Amino acid sequence: MTMADEDMELDHLFARARQERPALPDDLAVRIQTDAEAARLKRLDPKVRPTRWFWRLFANVGGWQGFGGLVAASAAGIWIGFSAPTFLPDPANLLVSQDTTYLMADLGYDTTFLESTE
Amino acid sequence: MEDLTSHPQDVRGVECAANDLSDDALLRRFADGDAGAARLLTDRLGPRSLSVALRMLGNRAEAEDVTQDAMMRLWQMAPDWVPGNAKVSTWLYRVTLNLCVDIRRKKRPDRLSDVPEPEDGKASVVDRMQDEARKDALQSALAELPERQRQAVVLRHIEELPNPEIAGVMGISVEAVESLTARGKRALAAILAERRDELGYDNG
Repeated sequence: MTMADEDMELDHLFARARQERPALPDDLAVRIQTDAEAARLKRLDPKVRPTRWFWRLFANVGGWQGFGGLVAASAAGIWIGFSAPTFLPDPANLLVSQDTTYLMADLGYDTTFLESTE
Repeated sequence: MEDLTSHPQDVRGVECAANDLSDDALLRRFADGDAGAARLLTDRLGPRSLSVALRMLGNRAEAEDVTQDAMMRLWQMAPDWVPGNAKVSTWLYRVTLNLCVDIRRKKRPDRLSDVPEPEDGKASVVDRMQDEARKDALQSALAELPERQRQAVVLRHIEELPNPEIAGVMGISVEAVESLTARGKRALAAILAERRDELGYDNG
């Protein structure tokens, strides 16, 4: 077989392949359309947007109200941590090891029940 | 934006008008919420993606999955599409080919060329080749081409894309496309000739 014959055979195979190009099967067309509709609705309706971890957490703590309360409580905690009232011990001292009974005595509590257990 | 599906009495006229729209314009309509545009784009572009995927993979189920995946990416990308920069079909061909490459990479250990031949396996290999040759000589020969040559040959000689568009799909120059298709065709002819000799086929 000459090179020209080979080329002709190849061209014949290509022509047959072009004729045999597949049509889109109905079930695949339906799957593609379903995907398109889902993508379209997702854009049109923000409610069906995929929820990210932050928004799921946000919803779980009670939305804006719950989140507001959480922020206020956190801010109060930080404020107390940095600027504790005089009747409370210095939080920094609580971090170093100290005799608990000593601190309790500082607060004016009766610590005799602790001593009695020793 | 007018929904192509929302006015039954005007559907025929509207669809005729929509049929004249470019892929660019239809994608814009889809991005604006027009469901009918998606149906027209599916009819136009789905078969092209499936045809290429089938020739690249040689497996119908995988090719259909690739087409669905490629079209899904088209729907997701629609709002970000910038009209006029490239053809939608070029984009879809590129995505389809990339998905096919991913699948072939995952399957690489199972490829015929990587399966060790058994000691006395000559007959079984010949049997298998005869089956393949009978089924589709071109498909089995295409499967032996290097990836890029196969892509170029399929796009040029089966999808009949012009070389500049193939260059856009493959991200290479037109000269590189010409080189790949020429080498691919030569390699295909050689593979087919070899098979004809091995199998004792006569082209007549």
